[in-house]
Amino acid sequence: MKPTPFRSMTSRFKMRCSKIVAALAVAAAALLVQTPESAAQPRPQELAANTRVIIDYIDPMLRFPRSQATLDRLRKRQVLEELSMFLSPLRLPRVLRIRTKSCGVVNAFYDRSEWAISLCYEFYEHLEQIAPQTTSPQGFTRDEVVVGGFIDAIFHELGHALFDILQVPVFGREEDAADQLSAFLMLQFGKDVARTTIKGAAFTYLNNRNPRSRAEYADEHGTDAQRFFNYLCLAYGGEPEAFRDFVDNGVLPKARADGCARENQLVRRAFAKTILPHIDVDLMKQVQSVRWLRPSDGRTSK
Amino acid sequence: MTFVVRLVLALAFIVPLGAASLHAQTFGPSGPGGGAGKPTPGADKPAPVPTPGPVFRPTTTDVTPPPAPPPTTAGADWGNSQVDVVYAEPQDPRFRPIRERLMRRQVLEQLRLFLSPLRLPRKLLVQVDQCNAEQRPYQPGGAVTICYEYIAKVAQLVPPTQQIGAPPPESMILGAVIQQVLHEVAIATFDILDIPVWGRERDAADKLAGFIMVQFGRDVALRVMVGAARYFELSERQWTQADFASEQAPEAQRFYNYLCIAIGADPATFRFLVDQNLMPQRRAQRCGNEFLSLRQAFVQQILPHVDVQLLKRVQSATWLMLDEPK
Ligand SMILES: [Zn+2]
Repeated sequence: MKPTPFRSMTSRFKMRCSKIVAALAVAAAALLVQTPESAAQPRPQELAANTRVIIDYIDPMLRFPRSQATLDRLRKRQVLEELSMFLSPLRLPRVLRIRTKSCGVVNAFYDRSEWAISLCYEFYEHLEQIAPQTTSPQGFTRDEVVVGGFIDAIFHELGHALFDILQVPVFGREEDAADQLSAFLMLQFGKDVARTTIKGAAFTYLNNRNPRSRAEYADEHGTDAQRFFNYLCLAYGGEPEAFRDFVDNGVLPKARADGCARENQLVRRAFAKTILPHIDVDLMKQVQSVRWLRPSDGRTSK
Repeated sequence: MTFVVRLVLALAFIVPLGAASLHAQTFGPSGPGGGAGKPTPGADKPAPVPTPGPVFRPTTTDVTPPPAPPPTTAGADWGNSQVDVVYAEPQDPRFRPIRERLMRRQVLEQLRLFLSPLRLPRKLLVQVDQCNAEQRPYQPGGAVTICYEYIAKVAQLVPPTQQIGAPPPESMILGAVIQQVLHEVAIATFDILDIPVWGRERDAADKLAGFIMVQFGRDVALRVMVGAARYFELSERQWTQADFASEQAPEAQRFYNYLCIAIGADPATFRFLVDQNLMPQRRAQRCGNEFLSLRQAFVQQILPHVDVQLLKRVQSATWLMLDEPK
């Protein structure tokens, strides 16, 4: 899921004065602290939008009239407006476009030739369809699946966009890297947000389909099962208390769990060195203190 | 006398090769007339045709021309002084012949020469040891270990004679052992140089190892990359649900990752992989961009720690001398 189907080429050979940046970044990383959640948390509206993020709710294609309701719902919830506020600490060297649209497929995309993220109405509708009415037998709630699943799609594509726009060095597989960035962001807003979003992301890979033929391993994405475990591992590594139940009940095998703190540390280091230098840390702390999710977010108002 | 670093050659003879004929069958790209890979219509939006990613080589303006004649390994004074090497004595007598062969071939000494361009801020111990496992993963701050068990397994899995459609056994052994060495060294390098690693660390190590393997010309790339990939194929096992929790990638994934680097680095040479259905067209289309992104990461993060003159010297070496008399 979530491939980047169209990857136009860019010439990218900028050298960096990496040591100084790295030192600053590591210092700033110490500031990446958890903010306690409270009822008094500010609303997103207290933040200014990122002026280099251009948002657009694109009308659904005529053959998908059902998606009009999805568009209305996303617009009413101000999903893209709040996303732009969420991105306010980010200093972007160029304009990033983020739009919701009909894609004809259940997916989300980053298009390098347009510097644009497309979030498909179909993907949101798919989440509403697969989400349990209340709670699944494995303990995943409707809110987690719809809200977490959609945020994961946004963050994953944001990962591709940032790697591209900021010319981030990616040594591993980029699809895994985008998942890592998504999971890492999910863990920066306190335990409740972390639980909702990580579980939602993991759920989309829960009823997974593993490769049926050898050639399927050629996919640049990991298998669904690999992605499922990657999310849980980064979560457990970053928030052991909040995610211990997944280890206790054997969902995340002990052999993997033992290395998750280090895996999380590697991602934290990569973030600190390659993305944090492009972030206004004061604004970032404000963003972290905001209450982004609302109790009603997973519910369809039908 | 052939001069120069012969790590690869040395590795070729770590294990007995039986009666493998070096000239039994050509393996690799077919001559002119091999059909071009067909595009798969409608599979996806067409990716832009990637410009063949030229392999990274310092430009002539970066460095003075390489000395002529090329450096010899005899009495070489350019080994990496931060790299210490040890052939640990195995407890299991079964591994002693492997150890003796490695020592006779000076495999680790050659690796020390090979790593000479890399400026390391601390000592790194590279050892061959009995692990009572196939691998002993690198621990931060620790040593790089190649296990006798791994080398023994490679020797056991690779058929002694060339199979139809497969590379010659010596290429598979070379590929398997070299990828293991470079993979472990890559993980140590990430740690020692404090390099940001996005993506799963072991995949990143494979990619850095593969990137290094394609820096030594077409012949080396063909033998080592295809050899390594085919060894993964040989060692494949069936993965089921819980297996996917592993931080290591399935052999088939590693197979495709290596071949994708090769295709991205040199599409013309490796197009036969697509023609022979060893690599699906859909992934192959993306390998050019994957390689550019890998090269960008290398240039940004590793190259600042590399002595470019020494790199040029290592690159100018003749690496694969399989026809050389034993
Ligand atoms: Zn993706």
